[in-house]
Amino acid sequence: MDSEEDMHDANDIESLDDDFYSGETEDAPMGFYSDYDDDADDYFDDADYSERTESSRMEQNYTVLKESDIRQRQEDDISRVSAVLSISRVASSILLRHYNWSVSKVNDAWFSNEDRVRKAVGLLDKPVVQFPNASELICGICFETHPRSWIESAACGHPYCITCWAGYIGTSINDGPGCLTLRCPDPACGAAIGQDMINLLVSSEDKEKYSRYLLRSYIEDNKKTKWCPAPGCEYAVNFDAGSGNCDVSCLCSYSFCWNCTEEAHRPVDCVTVAKWILKNSAESENMNWILANSKPCPKCKRPIEKNQGCMHMTCTPPCKFEFCWLCVGAWSDHGERTGGFYACNRYEAAKQEGVYDEAEKRREMAKNSLERYTHYYERWASNQSSRQKALADLQQMQNVHIEKLSDTQCQPESQLKFITEAWLQIVECRRVLKWTYAYGYYLPEHEHAKKQFFEYLQGEAESGLERLHQCAEKELQQFLTADGPSKEFNDFRTKLAGLTSVTRNYFENLVRALENGLSDVDSHGAACSKTTSSKNVGGSSKGRGGRGKGATLTSGSCRITDDNYWSCEHCTYANAKSDTTCQMCQQQRR
Amino acid sequence: MQASRARLFKEYKEVQREKAVDPDIQLSCDDSNIFKWTALIKGPSETPFEGGVFQLAFSVPEQYPLQPPQVRFLTKIFHPNVHFKTGEICLDILKNAWSPAWTLQSVCRAIIALMAHPEPDSPLNCDSGNLLRSGDVRGYQSMARMYTKLAAMPKKG
Ligand SMILES: [Zn+2]
Ligand SMILES: [Zn+2]
Ligand SMILES: [Zn+2]
Ligand SMILES: [Zn+2]
Ligand SMILES: [Zn+2]
Ligand SMILES: [Zn+2]
Ligand SMILES: [Zn+2]
Repeated sequence: MDSEEDMHDANDIESLDDDFYSGETEDAPMGFYSDYDDDADDYFDDADYSERTESSRMEQNYTVLKESDIRQRQEDDISRVSAVLSISRVASSILLRHYNWSVSKVNDAWFSNEDRVRKAVGLLDKPVVQFPNASELICGICFETHPRSWIESAACGHPYCITCWAGYIGTSINDGPGCLTLRCPDPACGAAIGQDMINLLVSSEDKEKYSRYLLRSYIEDNKKTKWCPAPGCEYAVNFDAGSGNCDVSCLCSYSFCWNCTEEAHRPVDCVTVAKWILKNSAESENMNWILANSKPCPKCKRPIEKNQGCMHMTCTPPCKFEFCWLCVGAWSDHGERTGGFYACNRYEAAKQEGVYDEAEKRREMAKNSLERYTHYYERWASNQSSRQKALADLQQMQNVHIEKLSDTQCQPESQLKFITEAWLQIVECRRVLKWTYAYGYYLPEHEHAKKQFFEYLQGEAESGLERLHQCAEKELQQFLTADGPSKEFNDFRTKLAGLTSVTRNYFENLVRALENGLSDVDSHGAACSKTTSSKNVGGSSKGRGGRGKGATLTSGSCRITDDNYWSCEHCTYANAKSDTTCQMCQQQRR
Repeated sequence: MQASRARLFKEYKEVQREKAVDPDIQLSCDDSNIFKWTALIKGPSETPFEGGVFQLAFSVPEQYPLQPPQVRFLTKIFHPNVHFKTGEICLDILKNAWSPAWTLQSVCRAIIALMAHPEPDSPLNCDSGNLLRSGDVRGYQSMARMYTKLAAMPKKG
């Protein structure tokens, strides 16, 4: 017990009574609240509070950019290069795009070898061809003779009529962002076509498209900026490297990892996340699932999942074909001839001939590896949906409830910040908890100490979060529906603020440990192994996080080899040797 | 449609005038369809195609010259950048590097240049490309010469 307290102390949590953990929140002794008085006081000290959030905002090493910000920055960069190099803004824009919008790279390249740069990007300083006195010229595309006023040229002087220019540039714009590097039509020329030519020669619709490509290029070709990956969001993020934290939060409220642009996944690293996401979508995993839990309908060939114990399968509409799970024969063929509706001699006989063995073994093996994955996946997914729900609740809280609550409880809205703060904490914790399940899946099975330490921290964090979520969701209800001020509201405030603070500590603890690769395991290992044994980590499925179909990690999954299972005489189901009754039809083993 | 027809007609007149100028290329337009052309090109000298005459088929799109013509060899040819069965040609100017300033005549010139300078790194004919990439120039040349003899030269006797 001593060492467990050490751990709490190390993280500035008041030592907590172990009873509290095992008890339900509602039954928690009043003493509990006083434990948090200090914390709660801090919390309501407004100056202190704002300073805390301010300091975390100070560390922010990124800026969210709206479209107007992006245009402004792009204009500024173009002006800067234009001034320093004494070139036109159009030329400056062409140069910047070529050097991925890096002002310093443009300057370096230009001043080390201007001629080479000019050649590479197609900025000519004088025309290649000139027709000083011609009143008519032949267009190099349509080969027609046109009056001089119909002819336009890039810096090179190659003459094309305005109709052909419009076709040439329009085709390129409609082909995609390649139009930003458009060159003179003359194959031997290479003179750059800038935005001035575009604006002079094409339809306003094409001009608009071009200008969007130019804006997109400023974000997409620049190593320091990225679009927010949230669907429908049009903001971009500018990131200054340096700090270790890669999570950025867009103005649209979506948080993502700067490195891999997946949803924010601190404390789990990008590689693990990529593996996990791939795994979730991998066809192989999907195939395993189907292999273990379904068979193709013999009539329509769609995979049919076996979700009940019964062998009598009915395909989904419109097919509705009825068949036997064991032999995949038509159910109508079953009955007296096969030894009763709930037995399938055809299967039994065929199995004895070894026909079904291979397929059946593979099905079993797939099932075992699948069970482990399903265990983590279900928890990952239910924390995900729990987070979505909490986000919606938070919004509802901010938009509707806070105002109402302020009226009924006669509390200024500024004094109700603790509720929003609690929900923000819940949303963030669900996110972290979700990713710890991906982490857990890849934690090597043989690293027992680390695994136990991890499961201990995760278990603590999870149960703290469950209490907080419960309190914010259920206990708040009574005040939302109340007609007037309640005496208990201040107690509620103290409790919720306290739980928020405790839960924050637990999660900071968890995040820190995972980011250190659980390297503290040695100093804490002994303490944890003791606690973990009493804490049923798998039992966390009770909580909100595991509110799925229930744990699939059943202990009795039998690996079928020839002599460690028995076939039920009644229904032919292959039962584990240890079972004394059939798992399928409950008949005694005979 | 009108622009492409007008431009093709310009090329047609130019071809009539230029016939004697480039003896290696003989372009002709289909009698009933100005969007279908054929060309006879001479295999470049000092290549395994020397002495052969190769027929090309052009199919010109309505967006011409903003879009490139489709060209393929009708005569069988053993060349890394030409599909052995279909005659399809892998040449950048017929794809993304197309410019409306090119003409059917200059496309023919580019194809002759490609015959002399194959690009074994983007092969449509893998056997041919592999011979060159493995440095077996003699193997490549004798195969190419054999097919030139078989398909691109008048039969004797
Ligand atoms: Zn023209
Ligand atoms: Zn030019
Ligand atoms: Zn966003
Ligand atoms: Zn990442
Ligand atoms: Zn069916
Ligand atoms: Zn059956
Ligand atoms: Zn049974």
